Amino acid sequence: MSDISIQEQAAKAKAQTGDVLARTRANRWRVDLAGYGFLLPFLIAYALFLIWPAILMLRMSFFNWSLDGHGTTDFLGLANYGEVLSDPSFWQALWNTIVFTVISTPALVIISFILALLVNRAIPAKGVFRTIFFAPFIIPVSVVTIIWSWLYEPGFGLINGTLAEIGIQNGPNWLTQPGLAMIAIVILTVWWTVGFNFVLYLSGMQQISRDLYDAASIDGAGGWARTRWITIPLLGRITLMIVILQIIASLQVFGQIYLLTAGGPNFSTRPVIQYIYESGFSTFRVGFASAMSFIFFILVAVISAVWFSILQRQQRGNN
Amino acid sequence: MATYSVGQARRARAARIRSNRPLRDRLANTGAFILLIILAIIWIIPLLWTIDTAFKPEGETTIVPLTWFSAHFNVDAFVKTINSTSLPTWYFNSFITSAIITILTVILSSMAAFALSRVPFRGRGILFWIILAGIMIPGTVLIVPLFTEMQSFGLVDTWWGIILPQIASPIAVFIFKQFFDGIPHELEEAAIMDGASRWRVYWQIWMPLSRAAIAAVAIFTFVISWNNFIWPFIVITGNDMMTIPVGLATVQTSYGIRYAQIMASAILACLPVLIVFIFFQRQIVQGIAGTGLKE
Amino acid sequence: MIPEKHGALEELAAKMRAGRISRRAFLERSVALGLSSSAALTLLEACASGGPSASGIPTGTHLVYWNLFGGGDGVRMVQMQDDFQKAHPEINLEAITLAWGEPYYTKLAMAAAGGRPPDVAISHMTRMPPFAQGDLLDPFDLNALAKYDITASDFLAPIWQRGHINGQLYAVPLDTHPFVMYYNTEIAKKAGLLDASGNLLPINGPDAFINALKKAQQVTGGYGLAFAINGDVTNWRVFYSLYSQLGGQVLSPDGKQLVIDDNKALQALSFMDDLTQKSKVAPATIDYGGAIALFASGKCGFFWQGEWEVTTFQTANTPFNMVPFPNIFGGGQCQADSHTFVLPRQASVDPARREASYLFISSLLKDSFVWAHGGHIPAYLPIATSQEYKNLKPQSNYAGVAANVVVDPTAWFSGSGSEFESVVSAPIQASFQGQLTPQQALAQLKASVQKLLNTPSPV
Repeated sequence: MSDISIQEQAAKAKAQTGDVLARTRANRWRVDLAGYGFLLPFLIAYALFLIWPAILMLRMSFFNWSLDGHGTTDFLGLANYGEVLSDPSFWQALWNTIVFTVISTPALVIISFILALLVNRAIPAKGVFRTIFFAPFIIPVSVVTIIWSWLYEPGFGLINGTLAEIGIQNGPNWLTQPGLAMIAIVILTVWWTVGFNFVLYLSGMQQISRDLYDAASIDGAGGWARTRWITIPLLGRITLMIVILQIIASLQVFGQIYLLTAGGPNFSTRPVIQYIYESGFSTFRVGFASAMSFIFFILVAVISAVWFSILQRQQRGNN
Repeated sequence: MATYSVGQARRARAARIRSNRPLRDRLANTGAFILLIILAIIWIIPLLWTIDTAFKPEGETTIVPLTWFSAHFNVDAFVKTINSTSLPTWYFNSFITSAIITILTVILSSMAAFALSRVPFRGRGILFWIILAGIMIPGTVLIVPLFTEMQSFGLVDTWWGIILPQIASPIAVFIFKQFFDGIPHELEEAAIMDGASRWRVYWQIWMPLSRAAIAAVAIFTFVISWNNFIWPFIVITGNDMMTIPVGLATVQTSYGIRYAQIMASAILACLPVLIVFIFFQRQIVQGIAGTGLKE
Repeated sequence: MIPEKHGALEELAAKMRAGRISRRAFLERSVALGLSSSAALTLLEACASGGPSASGIPTGTHLVYWNLFGGGDGVRMVQMQDDFQKAHPEINLEAITLAWGEPYYTKLAMAAAGGRPPDVAISHMTRMPPFAQGDLLDPFDLNALAKYDITASDFLAPIWQRGHINGQLYAVPLDTHPFVMYYNTEIAKKAGLLDASGNLLPINGPDAFINALKKAQQVTGGYGLAFAINGDVTNWRVFYSLYSQLGGQVLSPDGKQLVIDDNKALQALSFMDDLTQKSKVAPATIDYGGAIALFASGKCGFFWQGEWEVTTFQTANTPFNMVPFPNIFGGGQCQADSHTFVLPRQASVDPARREASYLFISSLLKDSFVWAHGGHIPAYLPIATSQEYKNLKPQSNYAGVAANVVVDPTAWFSGSGSEFESVVSAPIQASFQGQLTPQQALAQLKASVQKLLNTPSPV
């Protein structure tokens, strides 16, 4: 191995060639070709199985399209969209969705980060911890909600039963009190899905060289300072990704709420996706459901774009 | 010290520091460990209840107050689930479809992410946003037009009917791109200078470096495709093509409470995925420590 | 020919018809059984595969059947399917069990709309109308059904009628599954609610019923009664049963107008409110599984649910009996639904498969004593009136309600598992839990149903 590190070698090379290659016109086409070449397989699948159905869905939203195949020529113009926007149930569902997102996103990002920090230390049995925190993610939603409906059972459920043991007799009505039900759902969601972000953070932390921490130690930085000034900034890109993905995923919450509270009590937890699902599949109104899906898509896109630019600016500031 | 390389000097210094780690750090590690144990116990209790219930006789699963202990632990629920269902067939279908979905997703999305991250082609920015927009479309309603599409391709009731709609994953592209963006440019520029084509750069430098990202994406894709219920349910009809969630749903949603069987079937369903995870998580650890600038 | 050999020959003939043995094997074995070779040849001609079988249906006809029965019901359905397959080896039955719930109907609708549906499928009676009106089902040919012993006189008139849309029959009922009452025999005894022969003493009127529950509550120290409230359609079933006993209706017969009688509805809701809020004889925040657990462990004396939980409590060894839902307000009604057989619309009907469908339905109806073990009341009167069924306890205890049940109001948005059940259950749950007064709950219920009525129908 040479005395000079690869870093220094590469820096030299860069100084010599620069990115001259990409700048010539002939190479422009080569570059474009390479780019699209790599993208093509994905784009084909994407266009066929996501874009095309989405376009069809958009088309359905302008008709009184029904699940039984009827109404495909019953043109309604924007009537479905008007109906969605003037439907109080839609606005309530939207509110529920936003409440869920606002509560669950910070919880899922921060808790997963802390867990990854803890597990990334020099401690024994890392693999065991990793498995335990990730394992719930493997369980399908139907079983997760069965488990947690027993935990939350008023009176004799595991949670209220334990509370009774330590003296709190009338434990909270987790799933039937309008304000509390959403909290109960968030707790379930954290238990179930924190493993996803946790693994991502852990992967990111693995990529940070120990030398950086050691160098900081020499300079007298304590544990918190090292986290604040090394870990967090270097994970900026990963954090941005996790936050954006989490926001989008939280906005699209459905399964666990549907199965745990059926959107109750009294529709106080029903998210938008559940309303879309019920409109399309229970009442057969696929056209109406499609319109709602499209409106919701716009909302999600706007919210994500706003957060994306906020976080990106923050991250660039860090660098 | 002419015979010392810079790298060696650094390593020696680090070794000295590690062995002299201040007491404060050691205490912090111990504290972290204890905290982790507490958290792990909390995290594992619902899982333990699942396992506990699966081994109880059915009549004892609905006793109030709930108890952990039973005098009659048995494997009846497991035996019943295996005997009364086509579990081996479902395992097979699930495994084939999930494995293919995972492999194809990793390949397609990592290639796409490589292009978005490293190839300065025109239209790159817009394409990234178009791909990202895919995550924001609520998938539920897409099932209806997707089914019609699969019908016209003649893929209903086939493995490819299950697989194809699941291989284009914008989330995977996003994850790969973020990981790729974090890897310094110097590496491939050295290789390009040596004459390597982009494809070689992708295959021989990137993929090995991205083991952690690949493992992460592979795990997620496998888990999500394995547990996917609604799409395989809609597109598959024959008994012999059903995947695990579709097949086991009949056990789990029947009239009458059969918790032991439900939990037993859930454990049987999750076991393969758990094994896959345990295998892949080692890959994450072995993912290159450092940024690839090894000396 | 002696009987045993006759039987063996029948079996050979059946196998021949099903194409399971070769001609040569058939000849060899029938001769070995004592048949002369010429007689064997004649028989062979008659039985050669593709020829008419005992049922007249060509051998090898493929029959696809969808149902949504898992668990105990699934076991019984599989048994009936096996009985059918054994009796009719010429038909190749492919029975597919799908998960119970909303996705089943979505899948059935999409399959029927897309042209590759099963030959025969199960449907709840209350989910059938939108399918029929949406052109997703083929009507039954009554003459063809009669050939297989299925006629109007084989069913109770109200049930048979319900299967008709615009004068045509679209659903042949398999069973009726009503909302019933379970009671713990030991607790009831200790509470003094049983007569000399161990049957429940008659309880007349709402006050008497609450008193009985209070007595049971004293015995258990917990609750007198339990039923699913949280997130469950049971809310609606309780209300609808009680409200119907008062003679109330929800929708007009054409399904287009709201005709709720406020006084009767409030009477029902107030009584329900009494159960959980005033007298507190029933828990207010419990879910489906929790209510079952309470009853199974003897922590409450009475339990309201559909009859399908009978095997659950038998497995848990709870000492219990079942009776019709209490006639608190005099009319005697209770909420119910039926499982029925429907014929999804085929792009082109294969006559052999259609014939096989009729035969299949008929076979299962005649075999529905097996089905009754799961708690359902057989719809086929020859079985429902049989001594065998009458001896089946406690399942036959409530068989009498079948003529007087009320099913969910007919409308495109209604039926088991529908949006209708969801929007009406929610305010009732809120009333049970004290978050809304009965008046407020009724107002919300009416507003929600009116909104559904105002929605343009997708069928």
